[in-house]
Amino acid sequence: MREKMIGLIEKTLNLAHGVINEDTKIEEVPGWDSLAHVLIIGAIESDLGISIPLDEAVDIASVGELFEKAGV
Amino acid sequence: MKVALLSNINADPINRYLNGCKDIEIYEPQGYGNELGVLLNRDSSLYDFAPDMVFIITDLMELIGRDLEITAAGKKIDEWFALFESSLSEGTVFYVSDAFVHGFEVDLVWERSVITAVENKWDENLYALANKYSNVRVFGLNRIIRLYGESNAFSRKMWYMGKILYSAVLQKALAEEIIHRTEIEIRQPKKALLLDLDNTLWRGLAGENDISPVILSEDGVGLAYKNFQRGIKLLKSQGVILGIVSKNNEDDAISIIENHPHMVLRLEDFATYRINWENKAENIVSISKELNIGLDSIVFIDDNKAEQALIREALSQVYVPDFPVNPEELSSFIAEIYRQCFEKPIVTDEDKNKTKQYRENQTRKQLMKASVDFAGYLDNLEMRMIRVNPEKHKERLLQLVNKTNQFNLTTRRLTEQELANILRDNNSEVFLYRVLDRFGDNGIVAAAMVEYRNEAVITEFTMSCRVMGRKIEDAVIDDIEKYSASRGYGELVGIYIPTEKNKPVKDLYSSLGYKKREVCDDGTFEFVISLKDDLVRDIHVERTTEV
Repeated sequence: MREKMIGLIEKTLNLAHGVINEDTKIEEVPGWDSLAHVLIIGAIESDLGISIPLDEAVDIASVGELFEKAGV
Repeated sequence: MKVALLSNINADPINRYLNGCKDIEIYEPQGYGNELGVLLNRDSSLYDFAPDMVFIITDLMELIGRDLEITAAGKKIDEWFALFESSLSEGTVFYVSDAFVHGFEVDLVWERSVITAVENKWDENLYALANKYSNVRVFGLNRIIRLYGESNAFSRKMWYMGKILYSAVLQKALAEEIIHRTEIEIRQPKKALLLDLDNTLWRGLAGENDISPVILSEDGVGLAYKNFQRGIKLLKSQGVILGIVSKNNEDDAISIIENHPHMVLRLEDFATYRINWENKAENIVSISKELNIGLDSIVFIDDNKAEQALIREALSQVYVPDFPVNPEELSSFIAEIYRQCFEKPIVTDEDKNKTKQYRENQTRKQLMKASVDFAGYLDNLEMRMIRVNPEKHKERLLQLVNKTNQFNLTTRRLTEQELANILRDNNSEVFLYRVLDRFGDNGIVAAAMVEYRNEAVITEFTMSCRVMGRKIEDAVIDDIEKYSASRGYGELVGIYIPTEKNKPVKDLYSSLGYKKREVCDDGTFEFVISLKDDLVRDIHVERTTEV
């Protein structure tokens, strides 16, 4: 599932495979702005069926944190 | 094409989809919710960008401040349109989304009419403006949301997080619709839709009531075909010229078109028709000349894959879509054809009367025959003909002899007993063939019987209309001739007994070089050919015999 999620992030951000890993910090990724963040949260919900609650979704700083809040 | 998308909600995700689309340069909006401000300010970055097309997607609920009370909502809608109208400029096409009221509030309103009143108010304003200005068009947001379903189209979480109203699937669908709109702005729409009849406009075969009666009705499969016709009729009302290109006896087909109670399309709906046994490619070329429209303006619909291939091969400019496998797909198929080929930015009154004009202009002069590379097409079909053992396929043989009307030279019907006698008779030979092509197995489709007494006579020759017009008959006759010669006969006789239905084959023998020998009192024609000369036939099928 983590692999799938990374794939989905890379797809949403139009990045090459391998750019994103568990240690990636959101602010370090070019293009991962607030809009992109919403799209990623939306894609995780619609494509993977994982709903990250609103309160937690706005407040994520790294991919590791994203995994944690998604419970994967 | 320079495109700008403006919205009162966050439409950036749609812009992201559009960005990088070839042929589209997309305006980078500054924020959202100020779409009228941007339009009204001639110094805004929008006018620096100078768009060819402006798309305005409006969430109605936001626009009316989430207050569904019609007086207040109506006032806001009127104001919006008044400002929008004053911002209009020539040379730019404006697409404005139609109404769809969405929000949790909708589920808390008891009266549906409260919602529809707001939606109607918006749409009335929009259509009035679209009728007034040729560069104002309706963007079918409502249709797209309905297509995906409200529960799939919206994302509440994304709304709270970033004022993104639509889910990812809908954003993509909206982006695709915008692309589609830019395409139809540039493209030349097709003009004419030419249609086959049997198993296309109806299920079944005209003139073959015993094998496959015409099915067209208010329920079941018949309804699927009827709805297909209803869709085609709607295309006609939008200016698409209709025509028929079909292999049938003209009388049989016309009789169904004019008299069948469930026909939606009648003869007057068609600008022209070619109902005959000639090559369809030639018929299409002849129609294109008659109506004076280019081949690249023609769409041809036929259920038969071989006919589809013939036209694609011979007339590559004609668009030939794949025909749906299941009848329940027919109505969405015609809607897709409409969008893909015929949809125009605007439909004029002149469009609506087009068929009438073409009918009036219809010329009756002899039309030139197209030179189509028919031989190349036939070779391309990769046909194989296998002579099979009639003893093993008696039922199919009887069916071919007793049920075929059109390609049947003598229309003699046989009982099982009579057939058994013929199969036992050393002075008779039965020829039975299976035909395959690159599209698959057509099954056992041709049968002939020859009597060898003081002369060799083809007493029966029948073929399924599925494989007519592919020179299979030439190969069958060639087979019979070679076999007859090998039995020592110097001549071969063919018989044609005319009936109501078998006109398609009345010239079969003469077209193969047979000479008319006698016309008997009962109307039977006898033809004869000498087998002593080497007959060279134009064969496009590989022949084998089943072991």
